[in-house]
Amino acid sequence: MESEHDRPTAAEAADALTEAEASRTTLAHAITTPSWCFTSLGTAVAVQIGLAAVGFADGALLPVAAGLAVFAAVAGVQLARFRRRNGVWLGGFASRVVLGSAAPASVAYALALAAAIWAAAGEHWWLVALWSAAGGAGYALGGRRWLRTYRAEPAAHGRGESAAWLALVALAAVGGAVLLAAGA
Amino acid sequence: MAELDAQIAAPARLKLMTTLTAVSEAEFATVRDALEVSDSVLSKHLAALEDAGYVRRRKGVHRGRRTTWIALTPRGRKALSAHVAALRELIRGVD
Repeated sequence: MESEHDRPTAAEAADALTEAEASRTTLAHAITTPSWCFTSLGTAVAVQIGLAAVGFADGALLPVAAGLAVFAAVAGVQLARFRRRNGVWLGGFASRVVLGSAAPASVAYALALAAAIWAAAGEHWWLVALWSAAGGAGYALGGRRWLRTYRAEPAAHGRGESAAWLALVALAAVGGAVLLAAGA
Repeated sequence: MAELDAQIAAPARLKLMTTLTAVSEAEFATVRDALEVSDSVLSKHLAALEDAGYVRRRKGVHRGRRTTWIALTPRGRKALSAHVAALRELIRGVD
């Protein structure tokens, strides 16, 4: 700890804080998403929802697995592109945007998946397509919303959930999908 | 009254640590450019903060080049919060 001699004046403290916060804001605003990031994530989610609904309706695991593989591939590519483009790793982007743990994205996803499964059970395929597209669009819009929130308060939103928590959620989601498909 | 942390007292270190709160991890050149400092200045501050346990550095790759990735440690986040609280108290004392 420092002596009174080293203690900054109130004006110096205010200047130092202002400058530090400005630097953080500049970095947060310089962070951008790769081209077609939200569109590709939304499309991948729509494909995943559609294939999951078809798989559950037919009691087949293959479409469910294929949908998850498409999503995992797109998510992996977008995360790698984001890191390469910005020179940063942003846990909040990985969890809230790509893995959809932000409330709007997860609610849109859950509602669209449930509705698509219901539509597939009744063989209303155009409704399956519609709900899948709606789910993908909601997911993408949720991601865009998170980015705006992050830029406004980078310290509060930058880190997101821990990797262990995300791994647990992903494992539970895959396990749940397999059980649903197996029981359908 | 909360105490100021001597390790973060230099404005450049406060700026560095505050900037790192915006990300989980950042590549050396990204941080250097954000802070507008030279490689040697950034390295010097990072070494001091690493010794204090406030940041961690790891070797990695970025755009095909070997580089260093930097992150705040939980201890660093806690120390920064306490230091910022002390600065705010100091500012409020005058208002």
